[in-house]
Amino acid sequence: MTEPKRYLAPTSLDQAVECLKDGDVTILAGGTDLTPQSQAGRIKIKNTLMNIRHIPQLSGITLEGKEIRIGALATITEIMTHPLVRQHLPILVEACDHFASDQIRNAATLGGNICNASPAGDTLIPLLVLDACVELASMPESKIYRHCMPLSTFFVGPGKTRRSLCELVTCVRIPLPAENHVARFHKLGTRPALDISTISIGIAGNLKDGMLSNVRVAFGAVAPTPIRASATEKALEGQRLDESTIEKVAGIARDEVKPIDDVRATAWYRKEMIHNITKRILSHVAQA
Amino acid sequence: MSVAEKKPRVIEPDSLIGKRIRKMDAPEKASGKTRYIHDINLSGQLHGKILRSGRIHALIKSIDTSAARALPGVHVVITAADVPDQRPIGVARDHFPLKVGRVRSERDEIAAVAAETEEIAEAALKLIKVVYEDLPVISDPEEAIKPGAALIHPEPHGADGSHEHLKQGTTIAHKGKPDNVAMTFDYAHGDVVQGEAESDVVVEDTFRLHYVTHCCMGVSGMIAEFDASGNLLMYSNTQVPFLHKREFAEYLNMDPARIRIIQPPIGGGFGSKLDIYPFEVICLYLARAAKRPVKMLFTREEEFLASPTRQPVLLTLRSGCKKDGTLTFRQVHTLHDNGAYTSWGATTPFVMMQTFSSLYRVPHCDYHTAAVYTNNPYAGSFRGYGNLQATFAIEQQMDMLAEKIGMDPLAFRLKNAQESGETTGQGMSFKSCGFQDCLNTAAQRSDYSRKFKENAANRNKPGNIKHGIGMASMLHVGGGAKIYPSDGCGTILKMDDFANVTLITGASEIGQGSETVLSQLVCEELGLPISAITVVNNDTAITPWDVGVHASRTTFIAGNSAIGAAKKAKTKILAVAAKKYECAESDLDLRGGFVIKAASGEVVVELSKLLRNLHFQDKAELVMTTFYYEPPSVHQDKGFKGDVSAAYAWGTQVVEVEIDTDTGLVKMTKVTGAHDVGRVLNRLGIEGQIEGGVVMGQGYALTEELMIENGVMKNPNFRDYKLVTAPEIPEMDIAFIESMDGEGPQGAKGVGEAPAICVAAATANAIANATGIRMFELPFTPEKVYRALHGQTPKLYWKPWRAPE
Amino acid sequence: MSLKHDIEFTLNGVKRSVTVDVTMNALAMLRDVIGLTGTKYGCGEGECGACTIQVDGVSLNSCLMFAVDCDGRNVTTIEGLANDSTADALLDAFVEHGAVQCGFCTPGMIMQADHMVRSECCGDTDSIKRGIEGNLCRCTGYKKIVDAIASVSGAQN
Repeated sequence: MTEPKRYLAPTSLDQAVECLKDGDVTILAGGTDLTPQSQAGRIKIKNTLMNIRHIPQLSGITLEGKEIRIGALATITEIMTHPLVRQHLPILVEACDHFASDQIRNAATLGGNICNASPAGDTLIPLLVLDACVELASMPESKIYRHCMPLSTFFVGPGKTRRSLCELVTCVRIPLPAENHVARFHKLGTRPALDISTISIGIAGNLKDGMLSNVRVAFGAVAPTPIRASATEKALEGQRLDESTIEKVAGIARDEVKPIDDVRATAWYRKEMIHNITKRILSHVAQA
Repeated sequence: MSVAEKKPRVIEPDSLIGKRIRKMDAPEKASGKTRYIHDINLSGQLHGKILRSGRIHALIKSIDTSAARALPGVHVVITAADVPDQRPIGVARDHFPLKVGRVRSERDEIAAVAAETEEIAEAALKLIKVVYEDLPVISDPEEAIKPGAALIHPEPHGADGSHEHLKQGTTIAHKGKPDNVAMTFDYAHGDVVQGEAESDVVVEDTFRLHYVTHCCMGVSGMIAEFDASGNLLMYSNTQVPFLHKREFAEYLNMDPARIRIIQPPIGGGFGSKLDIYPFEVICLYLARAAKRPVKMLFTREEEFLASPTRQPVLLTLRSGCKKDGTLTFRQVHTLHDNGAYTSWGATTPFVMMQTFSSLYRVPHCDYHTAAVYTNNPYAGSFRGYGNLQATFAIEQQMDMLAEKIGMDPLAFRLKNAQESGETTGQGMSFKSCGFQDCLNTAAQRSDYSRKFKENAANRNKPGNIKHGIGMASMLHVGGGAKIYPSDGCGTILKMDDFANVTLITGASEIGQGSETVLSQLVCEELGLPISAITVVNNDTAITPWDVGVHASRTTFIAGNSAIGAAKKAKTKILAVAAKKYECAESDLDLRGGFVIKAASGEVVVELSKLLRNLHFQDKAELVMTTFYYEPPSVHQDKGFKGDVSAAYAWGTQVVEVEIDTDTGLVKMTKVTGAHDVGRVLNRLGIEGQIEGGVVMGQGYALTEELMIENGVMKNPNFRDYKLVTAPEIPEMDIAFIESMDGEGPQGAKGVGEAPAICVAAATANAIANATGIRMFELPFTPEKVYRALHGQTPKLYWKPWRAPE
Repeated sequence: MSLKHDIEFTLNGVKRSVTVDVTMNALAMLRDVIGLTGTKYGCGEGECGACTIQVDGVSLNSCLMFAVDCDGRNVTTIEGLANDSTADALLDAFVEHGAVQCGFCTPGMIMQADHMVRSECCGDTDSIKRGIEGNLCRCTGYKKIVDAIASVSGAQN
C-alpha cells in the first residue's frame, strides 16, 4: 500500500477544489470502495488523501425549481429514506434497497458510487433512465467553476469517468418526472442485496394510452459501463405495449447487448436474462 | 439447615433433559468479551506470514531471501533449505510444510517470515525472489489418470526416501508408479452381478459434486512459543488436540510430553481443523528459529486459498430394484480429485461406502474409489465427510427407480428402510433405529405426497413459477466411529466444599454446545443446577485424552464418559450418606443440591454440607473421580466390514422449492426435517445445530461454489463465494424422533453432521418434481438451472474407471 | 515512514485522542492500536459484517472506514453497548433464544440489531432478515438470531 504524504479534511468547497489543482489527490468520502481497494493494493493512494466529508456544500437532498438535487455526500440510506426521493423517484429507492447491505448503505455515498463507475453500479441504472446530470466543480484560476454533464456521457470504462483529476463531483441533478412518468428497475441476483448484479435493467418513460414516449432504457453488467440501450429505446418509442411489441423489443434488447463471461455468469445467460426481464418489466408496465 | 428440622423439606422431581438450556459461554460471546485466537497476544510476539506459490505446477529453481532478511524488523526468514530436518505431514505423509524442489498448487508454501509487525512481514514477503520453471498443469482428475500424464508426485515422500502405508492397508503414490493415483478404496458385499440379474429396472447416472469450503467466520491461526527449556506451548484451534500433540512431536522430533496445546474458543470448525496443515508446522519452525513467540493469522483470502475444501467427487452410480420395489444392488465408481497433497478428503470413501452399502436395505453392493493427484487445492474433512456426495446420488436414483416402476416415492423408501434389529451387509448393527419414523413424520408434516402429485401435474401448465417438493434421507454414525485405535474420551470430575463441580473433559467445544450438554448430563446425574458446574476442556496439560471432535461423536462418547465419572461420584456420595445417616444406599438419591430419600423426596442433608463433613473429618476425603469411556464398537476388518459405531442416526428432510423458470432462480421455501437423535438433551442447542446444518446444506445445494480453473481459485472472497444470507433461509419445521438408544447418554445419539447431509439430494428431487428436469451437478445456480431447463446441458457421463492393480 | 495523523473522537462515551497511520482502517485502529478486540475481522471487505460498529448513530463496517475518518465523531463498539437498555435486551435475547454458537459473528450481529431496533425498522421477520443481510453466520442458520431480534423489537410474523 502506497503512502500518501499529506492528509487533508477541508471544510469548504473552495478549499477542496483549490487542493485538487495539482490533481495528485485521492478523494475519500464514504470509504466503502476506497478502503478495501487500497488495503488490498488494487488502488494506490496518491500524494494527498483528501477527506471531503466535512464539506457542507456536498450534502443535502433538495428540490430546486424543477430539479431534485442530491448532494454527492448523500448516503444510500439517506437517499432511500428521503421524502422527496420516495415521492418523486421511487425507482431510485428500489435500486437503493438492493444495494449491498444496511451497513454499507449507511456509509456509501452517491458521489462515490458514480465515480466508482462500476458496470454493475446499482444507483447508476435508475439515474441514467431518470436523465440525471452530474455536476463537477474545479478551480481552474482563482474562482470555483461548475459545469454539468449528462450521466449518460460520464462513464468511459470500468472504473473510468470523464471527471478530470482536478474536479470534484458536487451533486447529481434529476429533472422532476412528469405526472405520467413510469420507471421500473430490476436487479437480477440470488440475494435481495449484497450481490453484484448478474444483470440490471432500468426502463422509464411517459405512459399514455398504453404507449411509452421519451423512453429511456439502461442496462447494467452487460458492458464495460452502465449503458443506455439506444436500439431498444428506439424500438419502444411511441409503440403500443402489446404482446408482439414487447416480444420484439425484448429480442432487440437481447441482440443489442454484448456482455462477457465472468465468474458470475456467461454472456449467453446474460443475454437471455436481458430478454426475459425486459419482457417481464414491459408486461408489468402494460398491465399497470 | 439440619436434618433435625421439624417439617422435613421435600424436593420435587425435575429434569434438565430435553429442556432449553442456555449455552454457557453465550453471554461472554455476545458481549464481545470472549478472546478467540485472533484476540490473544503474547508479549514479545512476532508476526508470521507465509509466501505462497506464484505458480500452479513448477520446479523451484532458486529462492533469494537476502533482501527480505535485511528489512528492518524482520527476525527470521525460512525456506525448506533452512529446515533440513523437515518431515512430510498429512494423512499420507506426502506433503512437506515448506516446499522442496517443486510446487504443486497455488497454495504451496515457499518461504515464511517472522517480523515485528504484520506489515513488515508482508513487506518482507514481497522482497523474496523465486525463480520457477513451469511444468504442465493438471487440473482435471480425468486428465491425471490418462497414460503419459505428468506425474504430480514422482519423488519419494519420506525424509529418508521411504513411504508409509496407512493402517488400513491402502497404498499411496510413490516413486516409479506410472500414474497419479494417491489412494484407492474397494468394498463389496453380496454379488452385484446377481443383484443386477434380479432387477426389473436399472438406472445408471453420473453425478458431479463440486468444491465448497468451510468459511468459518474466524480465520485460521496459531500462536507458538518455546519456553526456556525447549517445551512447546501452542495456542491452536485444533479439533483433535491429543492426536496433534503426538503428530507435532513427530514433526519436531520432540517428546510429546513436552508439547502443550491450549485451545482458545474457536470461530467455527465444521471439520476444518482435523488435519495438520503446513502453516501450523511453519509457525513452529519460525518460533523455534526466532526464539520468540510467533503468531500467525490468515487473511480471509488466504483462508479461501489455503484451507481444505470439501471433497469434490465425480461418481457413476448404477442401482436397481424389482418391480415390487425391493432394492437389489448398488454399484459405484468414484473419481476423487485428491489435489496436490493428501488430506482427509481422500478418506471420505470410509463414510461414502457406509451410505452406499447401508442407506436403505441393499443386498448387493460394490464400491470403488480412486483418489487422484492433480494441481488443484486438496480436500479435507467437512461436516458430513463424503455423505453429502453419496446421498446426492443415492436419493436421486431412489426417486428415479420409484418412477420407473410406477411406485409412490415415499412408499418405495418405506419398503426399503431398515428397522431396529437389522444388520447391514457392511456389518452395521442398527439397535435404535428411527428410520421409518423419520420418513413418515417428515412426509406427513410437509404434506409431501399430495404436493408431490400436485406439482407434477402443474409442470406443463402456463406460468413461469413452478413449485417442487423433494425428499431425501440420510444415515450417519451417531455413536462415534472406531477408526483410530481408541474412540474413547476421558473425564476427571471433582467436587468442592460447596457442591460445585469441575468437569475436566478431553472433548473440545467447537461452538456446537458440547460444554453445555456435558454439564447438563453431569448435573442431571448429581441432581445439581447447571450453575453449579465449570467445564475445563481446552488444555492438553490438564484434560484427559479424547480422540477428537469429529464423526458427530462428542455428545455420545464424551457424554457417556462424563456420566461415568458422575455416577462414580454419586455412588461415593450416597455411600457416605448411607453410612452417616444409617440407611441403605438404594434408599437415597441426589436432587436439587440435596441428598434425599428416593421414595419421598424428603431432604436428608444438603449436599454441600455432606461434602464439607467428608472433607473436614479425621479420615478426610474429597470427591474426585475419573472415567474413560470406550464405545462398544469395533474396528472394521480389511474389507471395511464391522460395526464401526456404537449407534447410528437417521434423518429425513423434505425440501420445497419455488422456481422461476424465466431466470432459473430456485428459492428454498421450506425444509421439513425429522431427525432420529435418540433423545433430545439440550433442546435449544440441538435446534440450533439442525437449523445451522440445514442452511449449510442449502448453500451446498444452491449458492456456494469454489471456482477453480486450471488450478487457480477465481473467487477467494465472500463477494463471489456466496454463503447463504438471512433473507434467503427457508422456513424450517424440525421434528425430533426419540428412539432412545440403549448405549447413548440418556438415550442420545450424535447429530452434528446429520442436518447438512441430505439437503442437496432433497433439493434435486424437488427441482425434478417441479420441472421434470433432473440436475446431476451442483450447485443449482440460476444459470445452471436455466440451462438445464432449456436443453443446454448435455447429460454427464463418466465411464467407471478403476485404478490398475 | 508512513504518514500519521492525530484524531480526537468519542469512543464508547469517552473522549480520546489517538495517533493513527493515515492509511489504517478503523477496524485495525480499534483492535491493534486501542486494543478493543470485541469487533472482529471476518473478511476486510465489508461482505460479512463481523466488524460492524456504530458511528454517529448508524451502523457501518469498520473495515470499510479509514481510521482518520473517526475524527470528531461518536463511535460505539460492542464494548460500549453495556448499560444500554436496548442492547441489554438484545444480549439477553440472543442468549435466551440460542442465537449464539461459536459466537464469532455475534458482536457484529448485536451492533447491527441494536441499530435496527432503535431505528424501528424491524416490524416483521422479513425486515429483520433484510436488516441483517450484511451479517454472515455459518453456525446458526440465522433463525434463532431473527427470533431473538424479533422478541426485542416486538415484530410479528
